[in-house]
Amino acid sequence: MLERLNELKNAGLERIAAAETMEELQLARAALVGRKGSLTELLKEVGKVPPEERRAAGQAANEVKEILTGALDGRQEDILAEASPVEGVVDLTLPGIQPPSGGLHPVTQMCYDLNDAFRSLGFEVFSEGEITSELYAFDNLNFAPDHPARDSMDTYWLKGCEHERGAKRLCLRPHLTGASVRYLQKHGAPARFVYPGRVYRNENTDARHERAFFQYEALIVDRDYSFASGKILVKTVLDKVFGQDVEVRMRVGFFPFVEPGFEIDMRCLVCGGTGCKVCKHVGWIEVMPGGTPHPNVLKAAGLDPAVWSGFYVNIGLDRLVMMRWGVDDVRLFHSADLRFLNQFR
Amino acid sequence: MKLSLNWIRDYVDLPEDLTVDRLASDLTMSTVEVEGAENLADGLKGVVLGRIVEVTPHPQADRLRVVLCDVGSGEPSTIVCGGVNLEPGQLVAVAVPGAMVRWHGEGDPVEIKATKLRGVMSNGMICSSGEIGLEELFPAAREAEIMDLSGFAGLPGDSIAKVLDLDDTILEIDNKSLTNRPDLWGHYGMARELAAIYRTPLKDLPSAVLPEEGSGIPVRIDRQDRCPRYTALVVENVRNVPSPYWLQCRIWKVGMRPINLLVDITNYVMLATGQPTHGFDRSHVHGGIRVRPAAPGETLELLNGEILNLTGEDLVIADERSPLGLAGVMGGKRDSILPETTEIVLEAANFEALAIRRTAQRFDLRTEASSRYEKSMDPQRVDQALALSSTMFRDLLPEARVSGYTDTYPRPLECAQVDVSLDFLRRRLGKDIAGDEARDILSLLGFTATVDGDLLHVSVPSWRSTGDISLPDDILEEIARLIGYENFDFRPPQITLSAPVNQRAVELERHIREYLAFRCGLQEVFTYPWIGDEYIAAAGEDERAMLSLQNPPAPDEGRVRSNLVPGLLKSVFTNLRYFDAFRIFELTQVFRDDGYFSPNDEREALPSQDRHLGAAFVGDDPEKLFREARGVLEYMPRIVQTAPLSFEQVRQPAWAEKKLWLNILLGDEVIGDLGLLALKSARAAGIKRE
Repeated sequence: MLERLNELKNAGLERIAAAETMEELQLARAALVGRKGSLTELLKEVGKVPPEERRAAGQAANEVKEILTGALDGRQEDILAEASPVEGVVDLTLPGIQPPSGGLHPVTQMCYDLNDAFRSLGFEVFSEGEITSELYAFDNLNFAPDHPARDSMDTYWLKGCEHERGAKRLCLRPHLTGASVRYLQKHGAPARFVYPGRVYRNENTDARHERAFFQYEALIVDRDYSFASGKILVKTVLDKVFGQDVEVRMRVGFFPFVEPGFEIDMRCLVCGGTGCKVCKHVGWIEVMPGGTPHPNVLKAAGLDPAVWSGFYVNIGLDRLVMMRWGVDDVRLFHSADLRFLNQFR
Repeated sequence: MKLSLNWIRDYVDLPEDLTVDRLASDLTMSTVEVEGAENLADGLKGVVLGRIVEVTPHPQADRLRVVLCDVGSGEPSTIVCGGVNLEPGQLVAVAVPGAMVRWHGEGDPVEIKATKLRGVMSNGMICSSGEIGLEELFPAAREAEIMDLSGFAGLPGDSIAKVLDLDDTILEIDNKSLTNRPDLWGHYGMARELAAIYRTPLKDLPSAVLPEEGSGIPVRIDRQDRCPRYTALVVENVRNVPSPYWLQCRIWKVGMRPINLLVDITNYVMLATGQPTHGFDRSHVHGGIRVRPAAPGETLELLNGEILNLTGEDLVIADERSPLGLAGVMGGKRDSILPETTEIVLEAANFEALAIRRTAQRFDLRTEASSRYEKSMDPQRVDQALALSSTMFRDLLPEARVSGYTDTYPRPLECAQVDVSLDFLRRRLGKDIAGDEARDILSLLGFTATVDGDLLHVSVPSWRSTGDISLPDDILEEIARLIGYENFDFRPPQITLSAPVNQRAVELERHIREYLAFRCGLQEVFTYPWIGDEYIAAAGEDERAMLSLQNPPAPDEGRVRSNLVPGLLKSVFTNLRYFDAFRIFELTQVFRDDGYFSPNDEREALPSQDRHLGAAFVGDDPEKLFREARGVLEYMPRIVQTAPLSFEQVRQPAWAEKKLWLNILLGDEVIGDLGLLALKSARAAGIKRE
């Protein structure tokens, strides 16, 4: 009996050591210590040996079982450590695969970035319809009655109101500023809000000019708000877009709806202000107009210009996206061309 | 607009240590945008005055001469030259080795080097005017003619820029930044700004004693609303000769072409004062001058040779017979200054801005005069122009005589008066400012101000009174920009916090966009609101409810969308060239000629402009696409937290395939359509299916 046990142990250990895979090991386990395994079969015979040998045989059989089970478990760990679901040699230099996804239009992405920045300062987001009237697009904004922007050469007027003026003459809005009066009429002052959107101008298109383009405008109105506080809006936009502290200067500029009005420049980030091709060798890049709402605009909004004042900034979203990503043709934004848009996912 | 810095210096003594960069930057910060500043001498480096000592034939070439030329460097230089007008003793422009010239006046500048020409060493080049960019100032009478500078004072070796008074910085001003400042459209106006910026006195323009008013030609103005003032000088015994060099040079430097003395004087006066003037040949003016609307059908040949068919909207300067010129835009060819003119009627007038702009637009004629009148000039400036003109006639044509003067100015412009409180200035500037400080700043710009307690009474000069300055805020801007915007520190605003920003509609739209893009794999697109007729037809849209544009971007894009389907069809069509399968969406406004509403003002009625969401799923398995699209819609309410949608067949969309469509319902209301694009619609939109 002891001899047979010893043979079984040696043959079993050999078989276990020879198992290369989990399947082979599984078979070995069944063949040795399974319900119909050879050790199990042998154990059944322990009862048949003479009583004086039975104790030693039982002890030896249990030892063999422990040895075999231990060997099986040990071999299993070895096989697991050796195993790999990947076959052959793997090329670790291959690039990653892009997660399947759609994407937001780059203008929307820029707009949401700016919304986040302004909402963190407690600004509301507002919008008016893209169709507005001459009253809101021009009259309220202190545009002279004969201002050239009112010509059909500049603004997309709707058919059917050729002989109308003011509230009855409708157009695709030529700028966002009209919305500021709508908001102030409804909500009064003090007020802090942004009103991004698309505007339309009748002009010839090329890589720098579009008939439909996106703007982002912000306005703050408060008691005796000084233009010297206007920079907060400028900085909010530029620091968000460029991710760093941007140096800004405000110089004289003229727009009918502001007084005083400003052209706002930022220090050229390419050359740091020493002068390069990008900034036309002046060290500054014109980025947005701005200014204090003209008293006539505040009056149109129902506010007393002796009490209230404020500051506007208006920035071209298309242009910001072009600057951020190096896009060289503004017409791409309305092309719906997925070869272009897929790059912003 | 171009300005000569030397010319400006006639009127103001600028600080001696002022660099051009500094001046350009100060002007840009406080007044107008300087786009460029270039010294004309920079393009003429190495070009010097030479005196020809000897001209001998070239031994190897018939057309070339060997010239011995004194260029001020001791021994005369040998220069091989093909000029046809070379004479010993002549003063010429010599490009010495190292100078940059343009060969024969064409192409990019190249460097001159000492080199052998047909076997003879040549140490430079004797220049024609074209080779150094001066062809307009020194027109060559024939081919291969070199510039003869014998009339100029200078020594051999002097830089040509100095000899020709071209050591001058030309400032290029962005015209857009000048639209609200009619006073800056001449050198004198800009000199006034610089005098104010640098706190230095502005010199007076010449004054002149004119003949008694009424002594000149009779003038009648039919439309005083469009011609507030018309003055005319009669100048006798004039001769039309070339202008002296200094006059030609000044005009040329700022971008105009010298023509002849009489015309050049009118242009000079405009460039100095901003006030256009025009000369007519006195012998062509029959009876008096009449400023009147053109008779419909009347024609006029302009100085540039264009023949115009005038309308009743155009104002003309006429005599008793016919139009002599198009008011404020351009003179007529027949009756303006002619080579044989001996007596002129010199017009200095004021015209209303809008009418001039309309006329200039109608005939596509933007002239130096019209672009100034368009800005609303003050009629008082006519006086400066008359005085400067008569001074120039006296100095440049001593035998001429200003013999008559007429001034028709029935309602003189009243200068604006503005009262502004010092307290207001302090609050809005965020700076303490004393009354006399404000007064002194304003007086630099020609304003007269008096301090009365807290009030500043400001009298605005005429040149700022034509719409530019009328409010306390305008005065504030003048003071702030002359203090210098760079001298105002940032003041963090103090705000009152009342309630958190909570805007559900704004957030919902963003959630929908992000759901579609990031969870459902759709790419957002934007398309134009105007849409081609073919796509409207393909989508089967109801054209009666669509709005149209007066001046559409293209003849077949006259209508604005009432639905996003046509724009999506176009996007699908263009993208199918490069992709077989894709998903796109657009979320924006559409417009309908109904549902008019008044968001703010009861007088206003705006058409319905709802926000729509449209999406297209493109691929090769119609049923799978349909189910995917439906899935995107079914899961959307859960993610963006709105009421659930349901699907039912209620009414078939015009563009949908008959077997595969559903309406999208919110409660009982149909709020959208889902369907496979019908073959007919696909074909109409140019979309081919395999």
